[in-house]
Amino acid sequence: MHLLEYYASDHWLARIDARIKLLVTLIVLIMVLSYQGVSFQLLVAALSLTLIMSMKIPWRLFLLRFSEPLLIVLVVLLLKIFFSGHDPLFSFDILGFQLTAYREGLAEGVAIGSRIMAAISLMAVLVYATPFPELMAALSWLKIPRGFIEILLYAYRYIFVLFEEAMVIYQAQKNRLGYANFRNRLSSFGVLTGSLILKAFEQSQTLSTAMVQRGYDGNMPLFQSRPFRSSEIFLSCLVVTAMGILWRI
Amino acid sequence: MKKVKCGFIIALIGGVALPQDAAAMHIAEGLLPFNWAAFWFAVALPFFAWGLYLLKKRSQEDLSFKPLVGLMAAVVFIISCMPIPVPFAGTCSHPCGTGISGILVGPAVSVVITAAALVIQALFLAHGGLSTLGADIVSMGVMGSFTGFLTFRALRSVRVNMAAAAFMAGLFADWATYFMTSVELAAGIRGEAAFLPLFWKVLIAFIPTQLPIGILEGAMTAGMVMLLYKKRPDLLIKMRVIKDREVAVIGAVLIAFTIFFSGVAPTEASKWTGVDEAVIEKIAKEQGREPKEPLINMEQGDLPLFIFLIAGAVGGFAAGYYWRVLITEKGSPRCRGGAERSPETSAKIRGS
Repeated sequence: MHLLEYYASDHWLARIDARIKLLVTLIVLIMVLSYQGVSFQLLVAALSLTLIMSMKIPWRLFLLRFSEPLLIVLVVLLLKIFFSGHDPLFSFDILGFQLTAYREGLAEGVAIGSRIMAAISLMAVLVYATPFPELMAALSWLKIPRGFIEILLYAYRYIFVLFEEAMVIYQAQKNRLGYANFRNRLSSFGVLTGSLILKAFEQSQTLSTAMVQRGYDGNMPLFQSRPFRSSEIFLSCLVVTAMGILWRI
Repeated sequence: MKKVKCGFIIALIGGVALPQDAAAMHIAEGLLPFNWAAFWFAVALPFFAWGLYLLKKRSQEDLSFKPLVGLMAAVVFIISCMPIPVPFAGTCSHPCGTGISGILVGPAVSVVITAAALVIQALFLAHGGLSTLGADIVSMGVMGSFTGFLTFRALRSVRVNMAAAAFMAGLFADWATYFMTSVELAAGIRGEAAFLPLFWKVLIAFIPTQLPIGILEGAMTAGMVMLLYKKRPDLLIKMRVIKDREVAVIGAVLIAFTIFFSGVAPTEASKWTGVDEAVIEKIAKEQGREPKEPLINMEQGDLPLFIFLIAGAVGGFAAGYYWRVLITEKGSPRCRGGAERSPETSAKIRGS
């Protein structure tokens, strides 16, 4: 859950308007996805990772965030190397079967892997430099339906509450040998998740009562964004143009 | 054929030897090329729009519906972040949670719930991504929720037991999610290669973990539905999972069952012979060993009455003897720890 809470508030990127950061990120993301090759993606990944390093993210959080994408890159690379292409690169025997690596597969695998790394690190820059309510306000500015943003805000707020609740129940079950064997584990997990849903029902009733008493009419007020600064607009235009030129090359 | 066998080995390497992460069903950010990412967004959009429309409509009728959907999204987020060890595969995986949300709030609203959980996971945990959000919504939200919901409703309509229906709903919701993920993954990463062979390889890669985790998700969904049914049936009625009539019928059956076993059963039981008489005594008799009369037969004469009389007399005498201990002070008063009190202290305590 610590992954959800990290925000580099001291970094210069944190001072830029969330709408500009979101817009630039989405434009560069589309460039990354539509680029046919590796160099642009590797460049975006390198720039993003440099920015992340400058935000002084704790190493543990960094590794936690990137562990799953790296694993997926590895599996995709293996699948592509050994099952795509015609031009053999090398081959070896494993459990009596001959595995052959192909040159085209390696190229495709590296292209997909670099695309994943670029996209993941780009998103990480956005998230580490923007607090969640500001990000939601930026999504609202992009005309994402308000109802959906409200659901996101409720979910984000209650993830921590319900997670704590889940941990209390989990510890109580564990202390009573609820996870001693596979059968117990299954039954305890069912009770744990069922209790979470019961809690969610009860909390939603309490929450709506409290909100109605404070004038809730079915729509939540969102974070109010300040007007754009000309320097921010200039910087974003510069970044997008530079990236566009690199993408075209 | 040889390649398929090799695919199985790679699947084992990918699925068993490597430590699988807790969010294996999400397609990672950047994995799909732009055209496929846009295609899956287009597929997800009508379901998402339908879900939002229903959400708006139902939240106008009930102001607590939107917070409830938000909290359900938090629950789905937490459920899909909880790793469960799969002993058969030696890996960790996690349930999707979309089967249960499909059953509880309906499949269309469940698509919105899934989308919310996926956005937060994509932004903060790097599970899935914004560019692959459409594909992840289609596999988890659309396939998972609709399969779970339709399975549950279809089985309930043919009077299948609620726990069994929930189990099958969770099972099929999970398997349908992974089936769709395999389609999306194979279509997205195949490049110039043929679709079907790669699809089978990806599907085989999922099998060691997802076959058992589907069964676990089924058991979990059944457990959750039954827990809600036992603790808060009113919520299931509110969510239109069950009807008042169903609760009334099941309640009536339970009452009739209780009355039968508390009233009729004991009288019936008195007519039945016990296992001692029916088996042991019968076989002993067949072997020529007749049971003898007991030395003290409690069922004969006034012996029990006499014993009760003696017990009453002894009990009454003991109670009468010790009653005085409660109402009279015996011996000199002592402080805690056994030290004797002085007369002055005793007088202070009595307040005299």
